[in-house]
Amino acid sequence: MDDKLKIGKFEFNSRLIIGTGKYADFGIMKKAHEASGAEVVTVAIRRINFDNPKENLLNFIDKNKMTILPNTAGCYTAEEAIRTARLAAEIGLPKWVKLEVIGDQKTLMPDNEETLRAAKVLVKEGFTVLPYTNDDIVACKKFEEAGAAAVMPLGAPIGSGQGILNPNNIRIVLENAKVPIIVDAGVGTASDATIAMELGADGVLLNTGVALAKDPVRMARAMKLAVESGRDAFLSGRIPKKMYASASSPIEGTLK
Amino acid sequence: MKLIINGKEKELECDNVSELLDKLNLNPDVVAVELNKNIVHRQEFGNIKLNDKDRLEVVTVVGGG
Repeated sequence: MDDKLKIGKFEFNSRLIIGTGKYADFGIMKKAHEASGAEVVTVAIRRINFDNPKENLLNFIDKNKMTILPNTAGCYTAEEAIRTARLAAEIGLPKWVKLEVIGDQKTLMPDNEETLRAAKVLVKEGFTVLPYTNDDIVACKKFEEAGAAAVMPLGAPIGSGQGILNPNNIRIVLENAKVPIIVDAGVGTASDATIAMELGADGVLLNTGVALAKDPVRMARAMKLAVESGRDAFLSGRIPKKMYASASSPIEGTLK
Repeated sequence: MKLIINGKEKELECDNVSELLDKLNLNPDVVAVELNKNIVHRQEFGNIKLNDKDRLEVVTVVGGG
């Protein structure tokens, strides 16, 4: 069954993208990554720690199985995000980026104006751009028109674990999308990921839901199954909801 | 000479970026370097000369979502 996730020139069998932040240690992270079946992992770009320069995250990512997707988390302007994306490429990471420009510190809601400005520059420079944005059809359309290879609307605020707060908005985004839509942020537990996929999302990106679970490895496995279940359910075509019952066993031949 | 690396002043003697990374015990394969806000490409690490009061950013990959 060929059902690959295609983002620009990148192709994956798994529709789950998983983060590398907030894990108790890199060993647990690596095991969780394996259990998740994910083929894409997100990373952040930061000043190097001189006190412990040899303990590098890259040593704990299996580059044969995983493609590293750098993010621009922590950026508040287009310029900062562009600079971060360029530096990530200089490190030797693939030339693509989870483009994130934050507009509010408390809610970590995206600044779409700045994100769009950065997207246009990076697309021109040949980056495959995946902007993080609101679950808003207008924002998503603008990114698509700006050349984004995929658009990543939020399910709920980053790290909040609140699930898909507005399924209708995601549905509307999906109906009108010409590029893959990846629900990014808000996924707290397996059913949240399934709901996103049942709505027709092309993928799910999550970090905290796995990293901060009591058993991250087990939760990673749950997320893998949840994404696969949701995808299969979406492709199967669910039955319509009805007001009244409809017997599953034949009425004829019942004992009198 | 005095270099400002990742916002902190350091007193170091080194001719170029390669030497600097070596002195800081950093693996050049996992970093990117900015010198006075301009990116220094990896292949130029050995050629780009450093001067007193240069400002450098040395970044790498860390955990994120």
